[in-house]
Amino acid sequence: MFGSILSSGLAVGAIYALIGITYNTMYSTSRVMSFTAGQLGMLGGVLGSLFILKLGLPIFAGFLLTLAGCALVGFVTELVAVRPVLKSIEQHLYVLSTLALALMIQQVTAIQWGTEPQPFPRLFGIGSGVLDEKFWLPVAACAAVVLGLELLYRRTLVGRAFLAVAEDNFAARALGLPERHLRVFSYVLAGVIGGIAGFAAGELMLAFFANGPLLNFYGFVPVALGGLGNNRGAVLGGLALGVFQQLANFTVGGVFASIAVFVLFIVVLLAVPQGIFGSAAARRV
Amino acid sequence: MTLSRRNFVLGSSGALGAALIGAPRFARAASDSIRIGWLAALTGPSSAPGVGFDRGVNFAIQAINAGGGVNGRQLELITRDTQGDPTKAVNATQEMINSRKVHAIWGPTNSGESLAVTPIMARARVPNIHPCVIDSLIDTKRFPNAFRIAPSSTQWDDAVRGYCLNVMKVKKIAVIGDTTGYGVSAAKSCAENFKRDGAEVVYLGNIDATQPDMSPDMLRMRNAGAEAIVVWSVSTGMESRMLNKRADMQWDVPFVGHPSLASGEIRSLVEKPQNWDKVYAVGYRSCSYGADGKLPPHSQELVDRVKGKVRLDDTLLWWVAAGVDAVELVAKAVRETGSSDAKGIIEHWNTLKAYPGYFGTYTYTPQEHNGYPTQEVVMSAANSARDGTFALAPGYN
Repeated sequence: MFGSILSSGLAVGAIYALIGITYNTMYSTSRVMSFTAGQLGMLGGVLGSLFILKLGLPIFAGFLLTLAGCALVGFVTELVAVRPVLKSIEQHLYVLSTLALALMIQQVTAIQWGTEPQPFPRLFGIGSGVLDEKFWLPVAACAAVVLGLELLYRRTLVGRAFLAVAEDNFAARALGLPERHLRVFSYVLAGVIGGIAGFAAGELMLAFFANGPLLNFYGFVPVALGGLGNNRGAVLGGLALGVFQQLANFTVGGVFASIAVFVLFIVVLLAVPQGIFGSAAARRV
Repeated sequence: MTLSRRNFVLGSSGALGAALIGAPRFARAASDSIRIGWLAALTGPSSAPGVGFDRGVNFAIQAINAGGGVNGRQLELITRDTQGDPTKAVNATQEMINSRKVHAIWGPTNSGESLAVTPIMARARVPNIHPCVIDSLIDTKRFPNAFRIAPSSTQWDDAVRGYCLNVMKVKKIAVIGDTTGYGVSAAKSCAENFKRDGAEVVYLGNIDATQPDMSPDMLRMRNAGAEAIVVWSVSTGMESRMLNKRADMQWDVPFVGHPSLASGEIRSLVEKPQNWDKVYAVGYRSCSYGADGKLPPHSQELVDRVKGKVRLDDTLLWWVAAGVDAVELVAKAVRETGSSDAKGIIEHWNTLKAYPGYFGTYTYTPQEHNGYPTQEVVMSAANSARDGTFALAPGYN
C-alpha cells in the first residue's frame, strides 16, 4: 500500500507541479494568472493521442507536434487573452479573458475530440506495478523541465533577460530589453511545459477533455501553496499535494479525499498567506 | 310556432352555410397527417442513443406510410435536435405543442431534458412516450400523459441485484458509484436494496471519475472480501481504470452494473482485452443472443426487416427497436380509436396489456405507466457486442 501511495502520489503530484510551473511561467512576465494552464495540460494528452494513435505518427514526431500545438495555444493566449488587458491589469480583466479562452479550448476539444476519455499510447513499455512508466514518467518529465529551466535561466542570454523582465519589467524595458517579445516567448514556453505535462500524464489520465478544469484547479494549488512565481515552491507543493491526496484516497476515500485536500489548502493559506516559499511583497511608496 | 317562408329561407341558408364552412374542416381532419413530435439529441455529447433511436423512428414512419398510413392518414415526423440541452428541449416542446399541434411526442431520450419538459407536456395533456430511466419521471397523478417504454433505474437495480443474488449466488457485495448526483444516489439505494434482500454490503464508496489510480478503493474492496463489485456510473474512464487495476491485482472478482460497462469505449481503454472478461452490464432479453448465437425470433424479425435499410453495426439494437415501438404505439392508438385525439390515445395506452413490441412487452394501466417488464431486463456479457446486441451473461436459460 505504501508503494502505491508513493508512486501514484508522486506521479499526480509531478503533473500538478508542471501545471504550477506553467502558471508561473506565464505569470512571471505578465503578472497574469492565465486559466489556460490546465487546458494546455489537457491538450498535451489529447494531441499526443491524436498524433500517435489516430494518425499513426512515430512517438517522437507525435511528441514534437504536440509541443508545437501547445506552444501555438500559448502564443494565441498571449495575443488574444492577455495583451489586450495588460493596460488595465489592476482591473483583473485577465481573469475573464483567460477563463473565456480556456472554456473555448475545452468546448472545441469536446466537440472535435469527443466527451469520452480516449486511450493514450504506451510510450516505452518499461516497468510494471508501482514502477510502471505511467507513474515514473510524469516524475521524470518534471525533473527534466526543472533542469531545463535552470539551464535556460542561468546559462543563456534569453533566460537572463527573461529573469530580468520577471523581476522588474519597467526596469528591464528601460534597459532596452524587448519586453513584449520576452512575454510572448514566456507564453510559448508555458505552452511547451503544459504540453509536456499532459503528454507525460497521458497514460495515467488518458486523453480526456475534462482533464482541463481538473488540472487548472489542482495545478493552481501548488502555486498558492509554494508562493506565486516560485517554481521551487510549485514543485514541492505539487509533490506534497499529490502524495497527500493519494494518502487521503487510501484512508478516507471518495468525496472526503477532496475535502481533506481543500482543508489542508485553506489551513496552509491561513497560516502562510504568501505561500510556504513566497515572501511578503514590499510596496514602494 | 308557424314557419314563415322568410324564416325557412334564413334557416336553410344558415344550415347550408354552416355545412359549407364545416365540411372542408371535417374532410381535412380525416385526411390530416398524424403529427408525431420527436425530441432527439442528434448532435453534441451523448448523441449516440439519439442517433440510434432516430434510425428506428424513421424506419417505422416510412414503413407505415408505405403501407398506406393509419386509417388513410400519413404519419408526419416533426424532429427537433435538442443537442441534449434541456433549454433547447423546452423550446422545441413549446413549438411542437403550440405551433405544430402535434398529436403525440416521443422523447426526450435523456433524463435531464425529460425532467425539464415532462411538466410542460403534462399541462398540455400531450401523449408522451419516453425511454428515460429516472423514477420520478413517471407519476400517473402528476403526469397522466407520460408513459415509459424502457426500464426505470429501479428496474435496472432490481435486475443487477437479482443477477448477483440469484444467478451468481454471491452474498458479499461492494457497491461503487461515481461522485455525481446520479452515482451517489444510485449507489446508496442499491446498497440499501441489497441489505434489504439479505446480502452483506461489505463496501460502499464513491469515486471521483477523474481519479487516475483506482488502487485505494480496489484494495479496500478486496480486503473487505467482496465477491462482486456493482458499479453505478456512466464514466467509462473510471470503469476501465478499475478493470485494469483488477487485472494488476490478479483478482477475478466479477463486475456487474450500469450499461456503460458494455460501452465500446471500454474496448480501447482496457490495457488487455481479457481485462474486460467477467463484466456484466444491464441489457435486455429482446436484444441479447443466447449460447446458440441466436436472437429471440421477434427480435430477429426486426433485424431482418431493417436489413439493408438501417445500420446496426455502430449502434445498439434496443435503441432502434424502441424507436420503432414508439412510433407503432402511436399508430396503433390512432388506428384502434379511430382518432388522433390526445385523450383517446392516452386512454388506449392505459389499456395495453402485454403488447408485443420489438424492444419489450409493454403493459400499461391508468395507475402504472412503467410499462417495461422487469423480467426482460437481463445482464449481458459486456465484451460481447455484435451488431448492437450482446450475449446473455452466464446463468440464464
